[in-house]
Amino acid sequence: MSVIPAALATATALAGAGAPAGFVLPYRLRIPVVGLLTAGVGVSGGAAGVAALGGSRWVAAFPGMLPPAGVHMAVDALAGLFMAVAGAVVVAVAVYGIGYAAGHGAHGLGSRTAQAVLPLFALTLVSVPVAASVSTFLALWELMALASLLLVLAEHRERASVRQAGVWYAVMTHLGLVLLLAGFALFAAQAGGETFAALRAGASTVSPTVRGLVFVLVALAFTSKAGAVPLHAWLPRAHPEAPSPVSALMSAAMVNLGVYGLVRTGLDLLGGGPAWWWLALMTVGGASAVYGILQAAMASDLKRLLAYSTSENMGLVLIGVGASGLFAAYGDRPLAAMALAAALLHVVNHSAFKALLFCAAGSVLRTTGLRDLDRLGGLRSRMPVTAALFALAALGAVALPPGNGFISEWLLLQSLIHGLQVPGVAVAVVLPLSVALIALSAGIAAAAFVKALGVGFFARPRSEQAASAKEAPVLMLAGMTLLGAACTALALVPGLLGDALDRAVAAVGLPGSGAVSADGLKVRLADVSATLSPLWVVAALTAAILLAVGLPRLYGRRRRRVNARLWDCGGGAPTPRMAYTATSFAEPLQRVFDDVLAPEQDVNVTPVRESAYLVERVRFQRRVPDRIEHRLYEPVLRSLAGVGQAARRLAGGSVHLYLGYGFAGLVVLLLVLAVGW
Amino acid sequence: MGLLRKIRTIGRVAEPAPPRPEGEQLSAAKELGGSVQVRCVDAGSCNGCEIEIAAAFNPVYDAERYGARLVASPRHADVALVTGPVTRNMAEPLRRTVAAMGEPKLVVAVGDCAINCGEFAGGYGVEGAVADVVPVDLAVPGCPPEPDEIVAALRRVTGR
Repeated sequence: MSVIPAALATATALAGAGAPAGFVLPYRLRIPVVGLLTAGVGVSGGAAGVAALGGSRWVAAFPGMLPPAGVHMAVDALAGLFMAVAGAVVVAVAVYGIGYAAGHGAHGLGSRTAQAVLPLFALTLVSVPVAASVSTFLALWELMALASLLLVLAEHRERASVRQAGVWYAVMTHLGLVLLLAGFALFAAQAGGETFAALRAGASTVSPTVRGLVFVLVALAFTSKAGAVPLHAWLPRAHPEAPSPVSALMSAAMVNLGVYGLVRTGLDLLGGGPAWWWLALMTVGGASAVYGILQAAMASDLKRLLAYSTSENMGLVLIGVGASGLFAAYGDRPLAAMALAAALLHVVNHSAFKALLFCAAGSVLRTTGLRDLDRLGGLRSRMPVTAALFALAALGAVALPPGNGFISEWLLLQSLIHGLQVPGVAVAVVLPLSVALIALSAGIAAAAFVKALGVGFFARPRSEQAASAKEAPVLMLAGMTLLGAACTALALVPGLLGDALDRAVAAVGLPGSGAVSADGLKVRLADVSATLSPLWVVAALTAAILLAVGLPRLYGRRRRRVNARLWDCGGGAPTPRMAYTATSFAEPLQRVFDDVLAPEQDVNVTPVRESAYLVERVRFQRRVPDRIEHRLYEPVLRSLAGVGQAARRLAGGSVHLYLGYGFAGLVVLLLVLAVGW
Repeated sequence: MGLLRKIRTIGRVAEPAPPRPEGEQLSAAKELGGSVQVRCVDAGSCNGCEIEIAAAFNPVYDAERYGARLVASPRHADVALVTGPVTRNMAEPLRRTVAAMGEPKLVVAVGDCAINCGEFAGGYGVEGAVADVVPVDLAVPGCPPEPDEIVAALRRVTGR
């Protein structure tokens, strides 16, 4: 019982020690000490989460702290799940980060500010789910946003794009905060209390319109944090520009908290809602799943690809959460529990493989200085461990059988397919569409990750930097191996998570129906008699591969091995320029989705001076812009800038005018007071 | 079903195969078991031999019924069917092509040019006959050789 407060206190103390340590200690000492303290924060935060998943609960109030409302904390299994995931990611990434920041010089992640903020960021990641009142939650939420913003800006001296990404991230995350503030303030005012317990109790007395408004406001903020379209624009900017360990933390732990907030508010505090909430959420989820992975398939920047893939996976999770709310709205609570369990399992899986992918991308970036897939290549022989771990994580990301992503997507599909027994026209339209979208996104994800792995790690190096790449140092490999072990465990024995998922689902009031049962090593669906045994799938696949490789060796006649040169059609040896690049690999797919992606292309022909028919130079440029950003953000930004320009005329520099404004303001105020009150 | 019945009722309508050409099956070809994959290499030919090779694989002469089959890469091939005098530019590619083939491999020189440079002997761009560049196992003389002769040579390789 006392594990949770003790662990949380330890985490706070370690982070409290880590922040000044990051500021004070000299460069050489700073990185290992802060790294270890951060890892400690992860271990203790994760331990609190695991204890909560094991069934213990903890509620506490500290009225003296954070006046006037005081701090309220509560840990249940749902919070525990997100704490455990965040804790585990923090541990692995902290170990990785020690190796990453060392030897980089005191810039970037090794700087005083970044090292001081890192343990605080880790602490907020594990402690946001602990909050049990609106003020506590918002305070921690904002602290997390600020800490991550400072970390995103860590390399601002090196690239101007970092500063731009920082601005986007700061603005969007604070717009989210404003929405969150408005939504929660409205909710708290109507429900008559700001603690989560009071909100839960008062939710039924709030009128449906207000509930709907609260949900829309809060869901906009939380989906933006989760990186779902259309409010995703910060994500593909901030994640690539942040130092890779920070990208891993943001992508594998921070975006999860958007999902946490949504589940906590929508299903728990508001106690579920009408079908249109959830249909809207599923639409957003479906759109981000397909749009995110399409952009990922087009991206030639490795970290941008991974960032868009985060958008996709959060879309899948949102589909699951939406389906869960939808089934609950129609009264099918066991099915709702299953959909939510699938969504939560996907959160766990995504954290494992995405953290690993970002760490592997970080290893590549650290040794080559390149994120551009078009200029990488041939890293498999130079960085074998990193390449293998990247492949393992990519297997999880493409949702094919031996990978861990497969199991949660399978569960999600199962719950959606069996949801067809739920009546309603909207359900009958949306569920099959969602199934199709999930399948489509899984297919494109395969293309995207074949591209990332094949173009980035196989073939031959396409630049000098890639040709002189070196394997990452031991600590980075150790951190990545931890994540790789987590991916493997999740892929082989997800049943071990069964009880924990059940408790997490039960925490929002849905029946813990043994959606994922833990007996043996199977994943069994209680109500829909479907069973999957990942271990057997892996065993069968391994056996098939061994047979396919082994039989020809056994029965084929043994001959002397001859090392012949590569068959190059008799001509000269193929150069690395002839290999597939990320751009050329994505081109056919881009043609197929031309209407959606709307690529911009620009051909510039310069003729020689004497004749228009003789060409001196042809310049071809093609890029795939983020179309949502183009269509949605730019008009808004333009009109805002226009309003700003127009407002300049108000301040003409004349003192008389300003005095007049003051006078007019006073008159209006007096009039309002006299007439209105 | 109609197609299957047609096949069954009509049976085999091709003319009977001409008798096996005299001469033993090449000893190196015995391992191939009568199934031979052939890769053509034009080492500098005037394309006369190519036309005859194409004819040898057409439905009239049909070399495929004796187990010879054209393939698109030396990696798949057992036999290299080389035509023409070997030009300077094609000498190295020819060596590489033969080197790219798996064992057991045979080289068949088709046409007078391939055997002794024929009309082009002494030309400034000619490196030599095929045998000067790679070891030749079988030669098919003629300028160009008739399809029948090419088929006969291939039958000595397949042994059918």
